[in-house]
Amino acid sequence: MSIKRLTSILAKEYRHIIREPRTLWMVFLSPAFVLIALSLVFTSGSTRINLGIWDQDLTVVSRRFIGTLSSDPDFIISYVSDDKEIESRLMSQRIHAAVIIPPGFADTVQDGNTASVQVILDGVDTVVAGNATGSLRASAAAFGARLSEQTVAAASPVEIRPQSAYLPTTADRDSMVSGLIPIVFSLPVIAAALALAREREKGTLETLVASPVRGLEYLGGKLFAYVTASLTGLLPVWLTASLLFGVPFRGSPLLLVVLTADFLLASVGLATVVGNLVHSQQAATVLSLFIFFVPAFFLSGLTDPIDVTDVASIIVSYVMPSTHFVTICRGLFLKGASLAELWRPSLMLLGLSAVWMALGALTFKKRIA
Amino acid sequence: MRTDLGRIWGLAVKELLQLARDRLLLVFLILAPLLELLLMGGLSGGGVHNLPLAIVDHDRSRASRDLAARLGRTDELLLTAQAANLEEARGWMQNGQMAVIAVIPPGYSAALTDPGQSASVQVIADGSNYVVSTVALATAEDVAAEISRNISAVGPKMTGGPVDLRFMARFNAALRDQPHAITLMLAMIVFEVALVVAAQSFARERELGTMEQLRVTPLRRIDLMVGKAIPTLLIGLVDFLMMLGLAIVWFDIPLRGSLPLLCVLTIPFLLAQIGWGTLISLVSRTQQQAMLLVFALAMLEVAFSGLLVPASAMPGFMRTVSYVSSVQHYLMILRGVMLRGAGLSLIWLPALALVGISSVTMAAAWLRLQAGLDADSLRRRAGGVWMRARHWWCNQRPSLCPGQRRRRKPKREWSTDPA
Repeated sequence: MSIKRLTSILAKEYRHIIREPRTLWMVFLSPAFVLIALSLVFTSGSTRINLGIWDQDLTVVSRRFIGTLSSDPDFIISYVSDDKEIESRLMSQRIHAAVIIPPGFADTVQDGNTASVQVILDGVDTVVAGNATGSLRASAAAFGARLSEQTVAAASPVEIRPQSAYLPTTADRDSMVSGLIPIVFSLPVIAAALALAREREKGTLETLVASPVRGLEYLGGKLFAYVTASLTGLLPVWLTASLLFGVPFRGSPLLLVVLTADFLLASVGLATVVGNLVHSQQAATVLSLFIFFVPAFFLSGLTDPIDVTDVASIIVSYVMPSTHFVTICRGLFLKGASLAELWRPSLMLLGLSAVWMALGALTFKKRIA
Repeated sequence: MRTDLGRIWGLAVKELLQLARDRLLLVFLILAPLLELLLMGGLSGGGVHNLPLAIVDHDRSRASRDLAARLGRTDELLLTAQAANLEEARGWMQNGQMAVIAVIPPGYSAALTDPGQSASVQVIADGSNYVVSTVALATAEDVAAEISRNISAVGPKMTGGPVDLRFMARFNAALRDQPHAITLMLAMIVFEVALVVAAQSFARERELGTMEQLRVTPLRRIDLMVGKAIPTLLIGLVDFLMMLGLAIVWFDIPLRGSLPLLCVLTIPFLLAQIGWGTLISLVSRTQQQAMLLVFALAMLEVAFSGLLVPASAMPGFMRTVSYVSSVQHYLMILRGVMLRGAGLSLIWLPALALVGISSVTMAAAWLRLQAGLDADSLRRRAGGVWMRARHWWCNQRPSLCPGQRRRRKPKREWSTDPA
């Protein structure tokens, strides 16, 4: 291992990145850009539900019931007049749920009895179906309260005092933005995988093999160049999160930098293995997409937390560096956690980077010979 | 015409051969989608399950144990630990071991039996993931409501509300998460495979220097585009069909509508990606740049696909932007045909949108190709037009371009000044 050879490889790699303004822009600024776009989209939604109502009763009371429903801002109400229309609107996804008020609704309710109202949900999107169920139940209870002109409070023997730790539930933006940081860093990481595949595809690797540069020096130079180049991208990402989206930062800034470097080591290590396995950049891109892209959204715990009883999910998600970094980012930004509390994901990342880098070195040696 | 077709076919065969020669790439393109769907679909059915719950029980009665057990029995929560006090539980939440804490106050069981009192249970959820906090708190409310109902059913008379809602879920009676998640993954994987293959096409030729050779062949630009599109289309369709088979056979996702309709409508979806990909590959100098652009585009498309926020629930401006996302329209078609059994008469709107998007991206790619095969030929062309326009304008109104006036000055001096 010679420092001089290592630094010359490093200089060459930096030059590759800086030489092309577009590549530089993509490695340095694209994470921040993608973070802005994703955060804007992911946090813009309200839970609006398109409700189709078939009023078979057509009385003052049924209209009052519909009035209660429409006072809920979640519902966007349209009217339907038969079964077929409900079916076709559900199929074309113009309504998420249909409420059928039966004939005789007014009489039953005014007699003090309970009228049953049929609700047909579109079961495909279970989240929307769940939201619709909750909001409809609340509206039905509100209608009951309005009808009997009395408040039902104090009647409930068990009362839940909900509290959302660290953040109010309405601040979904903070939680989303801090969780997206690991995903946006996959962009420069994949650039590293392609940088390795490029040398092999263009045949410049042979030149390097003929030079006195050793395999490990070459690999170390590449790895270090891309880790540091990606690390500079943390600054725009951080500024975006803090200034543009106003996400609080409660942890230690130094710890964030160190742990980001830790995460990037593990990710670029994984990218090295990808780059060594393939012969062309196209193959490297396809493989990176399958490794970094889909699992990042579904398995990292960004939205749906990992099911703690499913061993297979745990194993697969723990192998992905982004899972641990989601925990770290949320811990540092929102919880104000210190290393004493984050030692577990940090250590996992460190272990992963050791494993992936070792695998990268092993797979590389075989090929260069 | 015959020779045109022959030329295009020749290029398509060359592209396919190139793909087949890179065995590993071919394996990734054909098998990786299947493996990914199998793995991801099997692992994450989507939804929130078994959030670790810690109980701080200050009451230590049968009623409090019943409450803890009821909370733990729900699908969403999993009773993991008993904490001695709130500080200990908060420590667990701080390092991420626990997602939910329920604090049962002393005198809980007494309050339950006394109709005049109300027992208040504090439920703290980890708000750093808002999905966790929303789901956990809603679950706790449900459990509390259930207990309340049980008590009031036992105790003195208490009528239910005037309205009893009877819910029925169409298309997915058991409310499984899987059909929704699997269709999303299927669309995403088809999308990314088509986009990647298309996006590397010209960037690869350019980087390896074979673009020069393509230029001296008799292939016209439109031939180039069509010839490069054919292999992508084929791979996309093969992947789509195989994953569809896997979804139906392995994951037991119903196919209620017509398969030919689904296949026909997949073609414009693939064409839209080919248009995007060709555009990307024409503006990128290296494959690395093309790949980064692909990822940026893919992330945006996924964001708009309704992964977290259904497009219909987005505010006005975002919704308008989201119409550009082909994944969103394709998901409406896929879910409509597969899960809801819709025919073309019900999904013509997203189908039309897909056709529109694909023709726009293909037309843009074709126009870009007309401008030249270099990565920056468009900029050079635009620069040329801009320079010419500026010269013309400055000739008309020299007073408006101070920088240009000096050049014209000697001419005027020469013509007006006799000396």
